[in-house]
Amino acid sequence: MLAAVIVLPLAVRPAIATEIWIFAIFGLGLNLLLGYTGLLSFGQATFFGSAAYVAGYLLKHYGIGLFPALGVGAGIGALCALLVGYLCVQRSGLYFIMLTFALNQLFYFVAYQWTSVTGGEDGMPGVPRPPLLGIDLRSPLAYYVVVSALFLLSLWAMKRIVESPLGKILQAIRENEVRAEAVGYNVPRFKLLAFVIGGAFSGFAGVLYAMLFGIVPLESIGFVFSGNVVFATLIGGSGSLYGPIIGSMVFIWLSESMSVMWARWPLLLGVAFVIVVLFFRGGVVEAWSRLGKMRWRFSKRAS
Amino acid sequence: MALLETRELSKSFGALTAVNAANLRIEQGTLHSIIGPNGAGKTTLFNLLTGQFPPSAGQILFDGRDITGTRAHRIAHLGLARSFQRTNVFPAFSLLDNVWVAAFACSPSWRGLLWRRTDRYAEVTARARAALSDVGLAERAHHLAREISHGEQRQLELAIALAAAPRVLLLDEPAAGLSPEETRRMVALVRQLKGRYTIVLIEHKIDIIMSVSDRISVMHFGALIAEGTPAEIQRNPEVRRAYLGGMAA
Repeated sequence: MLAAVIVLPLAVRPAIATEIWIFAIFGLGLNLLLGYTGLLSFGQATFFGSAAYVAGYLLKHYGIGLFPALGVGAGIGALCALLVGYLCVQRSGLYFIMLTFALNQLFYFVAYQWTSVTGGEDGMPGVPRPPLLGIDLRSPLAYYVVVSALFLLSLWAMKRIVESPLGKILQAIRENEVRAEAVGYNVPRFKLLAFVIGGAFSGFAGVLYAMLFGIVPLESIGFVFSGNVVFATLIGGSGSLYGPIIGSMVFIWLSESMSVMWARWPLLLGVAFVIVVLFFRGGVVEAWSRLGKMRWRFSKRAS
Repeated sequence: MALLETRELSKSFGALTAVNAANLRIEQGTLHSIIGPNGAGKTTLFNLLTGQFPPSAGQILFDGRDITGTRAHRIAHLGLARSFQRTNVFPAFSLLDNVWVAAFACSPSWRGLLWRRTDRYAEVTARARAALSDVGLAERAHHLAREISHGEQRQLELAIALAAAPRVLLLDEPAAGLSPEETRRMVALVRQLKGRYTIVLIEHKIDIIMSVSDRISVMHFGALIAEGTPAEIQRNPEVRRAYLGGMAA
């Protein structure tokens, strides 16, 4: 992963590389719900966008530093996830998904209407990128270094979480909710905890996003954004820790490079999605491991 | 004093009374069986005892404490563990992980819940392994639950309940769907556990019941109609009419 962080800016523009890691952090947060707990949150942009707006506002009008902004972002993401999660975990299945979606829409319309603060449709421009310990981050490469370091930190933190008892309990809930309750876990409480942690990661990513582009666009809290992160995670493989990272590489790279060449590029994503759903439920990660097994079998036969 | 007791416990689903004013006393250290025809309300009684849903009326006392209406995850912490009639495991988990999750739930402290690696909990892992070897699955610890045979899944079902180190073990038809050979092994297993745990057993196979039980309660249309030792139950005319007679005919 460290190698990928070093090589990536050589392959694509630093700004795109930065966006990939930001989106990957966002995906890590979603995947704790989607991949590990088996909860399809269709409103993850609620936490991403809310954190971006609040931290962006404080950066712009109060000139807070980089770390306070990130802390506020993670906190706002977690707080919104606590509210949204509390309402959503009462229901399951389709109703759960619709609730996450509906609450996302609610947050979206607040951002849309509250133009004096959020700028409504125009978004909230003028979000500064404060220096880090005196180092100017306004150059794309400098910001890339900071974001990729924070990404590695997030990945490490998420790895600790999914390898902890909590990770095992969330997967047990995904596997069999009734039994998880019967052996002694308060299932709604654990789902809520997954929401809060996932929300913190998403909010953290939201602030980095606002500082990358210098603006909080209205789309950052919209349902298309929520869909994109689900989409990217599924393409990468929701069953594994690295799935959302690979997914966001594929997704951001495709959307940035193809959109210049071909306005109808989402068609390609559609095709990719159909292939994943029909043949590789585990996404790119599963496709890769199957390929590895095929090569192994082939080499065994050859010898 | 009884370890587990119900007083006038009832549960209705609409017009159907699944459990009707049941008075049950389970003494510490005994193996107490509950028999009765299909649909008599035995599994519903278990669901009430383990807090799967609350009763419509009546009381449940555990160790002298009123636990009526306590939710399932709390009941597990009090020391009541159950196995399910239909295999109810974590399919994509290894056998060890299946029991590990149950063992962790009832460990005295959840320190490091968010950040300590699961292989750093030596005490929990030891308890999980002990539960697996109790049911004879120690060698298969790293197989996935969905890949083992039905008989082994029934053993795993039991191991998950044991991993919690419970005070009372509620076994819902542990021999359901087993071959004669697997059934023999399961009976031997239950006999081994007898004495170490207070056990409440639901079973259909009457010969098993008669050979392992200390006490037997008979359930018919939601009501407990008789209670006694195996010999007393075999002689009881009401039981013969309601249940044993019906089977012989």
